[in-house]
Amino acid sequence: MVVLNKKAFKLPRVEKEKFILLLRLGLEYDREQGSFCISSYNNIERLLDTISSILNDEKVMFLQNCILCGRDFPCSDCKYYDLCSTKNLPFHCVCTQCLKEGRAYEDSDK
Amino acid sequence: MKDDFLWVEKYRPKKIAEVVGNEEAKATFVEWLKNKRHTKKAVLLYGPPGVGKTALVNAASNEFGFRIIEMNASDTRTEKAINKVAGPATSFVALDKFSTESKGNLLFLDEVDGIAGNEDRGGVSAIVKIVEESRVPVIMAANDPDLEKLRPLKKVCALIRFQQVRIPLIIAMLRRICIMQHVEAEFEALERIAQNSRGDVRSAINDLQSLAEEKRVLTLQDTMMLSSRNRDISMYETLKGFFSAKSLAEASTLLSRSSVDYDDLLLSVSDNLPLRYTDSRELAEAYDLVSKADVFRGRIGTENWHLLKYFFNCLAQAAAVAPQSCKSFELISPPIRIITLFWTKGKRTALATICAKIGARCHVSRETAKHDFVPFVKIMLEKQKSNPINSWLKLELEEVDYLVKMGKF
Repeated sequence: MVVLNKKAFKLPRVEKEKFILLLRLGLEYDREQGSFCISSYNNIERLLDTISSILNDEKVMFLQNCILCGRDFPCSDCKYYDLCSTKNLPFHCVCTQCLKEGRAYEDSDK
Repeated sequence: MKDDFLWVEKYRPKKIAEVVGNEEAKATFVEWLKNKRHTKKAVLLYGPPGVGKTALVNAASNEFGFRIIEMNASDTRTEKAINKVAGPATSFVALDKFSTESKGNLLFLDEVDGIAGNEDRGGVSAIVKIVEESRVPVIMAANDPDLEKLRPLKKVCALIRFQQVRIPLIIAMLRRICIMQHVEAEFEALERIAQNSRGDVRSAINDLQSLAEEKRVLTLQDTMMLSSRNRDISMYETLKGFFSAKSLAEASTLLSRSSVDYDDLLLSVSDNLPLRYTDSRELAEAYDLVSKADVFRGRIGTENWHLLKYFFNCLAQAAAVAPQSCKSFELISPPIRIITLFWTKGKRTALATICAKIGARCHVSRETAKHDFVPFVKIMLEKQKSNPINSWLKLELEEVDYLVKMGKF
């Protein structure tokens, strides 16, 4: 399993067609840093499958960011993992700790 | 105490930050709205119902001081009606734009996928025209952007996808409402409402109101009467699930739950079969089953829906020819045929124009012109580009070039 940071991550060198496909699916390439970041989430599932195929079919996952406390955490910690339709995708969520503490949504403004 | 308002209205987000979930889509939308030099003049927000598309537009207009001019599914949306409402709103800059409080108008067309074929005739093309000429932001919302009728709209819009809202986010939001309504809710009760909503915030709030209104305490026991909701699945999910199904029953159930267009599904399955089966005998068997499914699709037409189970069954059998050899692969979607038609549209239009000119001059149909005249005109032009036949047929220079460079028919 490969854990990626949605803000910037590096991939092995790929052939031209694959690189174009990655950009079409919503990645952005930083030429100076040599890293990718996600610019569009419209085709995120296909994007993940393509990245996975580049990484020799390794399972790809992104860390989640808690909207209440700002902590990064993996989806595997979540008890709703099997029910989630967007698991491992690079989206915001609420971490187990904040759920346990009973924090409500408005707390995120503070 | 019983509320006079629906909680979905009472707790409708006033600020962008109050819209639950889809943070990435929210950020993209706000960036688009703030940027006056958009590459696309309109934006299409799409995703399942109840995930905050309309709420985000309302909250953003409230926060940035836009006045919304809205047309939704309850309005008649013919070309005439759209031009009557949206035309003036988008072509003139309102005077109040120059005040400090208002930024002017914003046109919001909700549920554009609900524009009906006959009742709303010309609706989509009228919207496209308005988008091209508009001087104010145009925002549209739809559940299913893959509909054939929305293709012209997608070309002129920036697309922003909304996903189902995650369960922990819904729980946190329900907890906030409970605090405001002075309801003491058990965590398990909120958890069950959130799970049952399947990512639909609106239905979660409605469920909470129906269960917790006029109560001080909400327990898990109270939620037992909630009925489960079904959700449609998209083409990509359908194909992914279909090709990784371990059994006939699994593939069949998935197909019956999916809401994709059956003709597109058939083409997509056909395109992806060679990637799924590497053994030629298995591939032949799978294609045989797909051809049978195609026969049933033809017989179903628009009325014999009782045959749909046979269509599903044949397709499911095609997926389960060799379930043990299943290996993940990169899916081809949308169907190659549709992509090819899209890419060759310009060429086909050019050829149709040439055939129409030849047909009119030679008193034959366009089809006859295409098959019996164009090959000979091409040979004549290849030998001499400035052939007098050009002026006689009134062909443009680009059309002559097209004919000369054209491959086989």
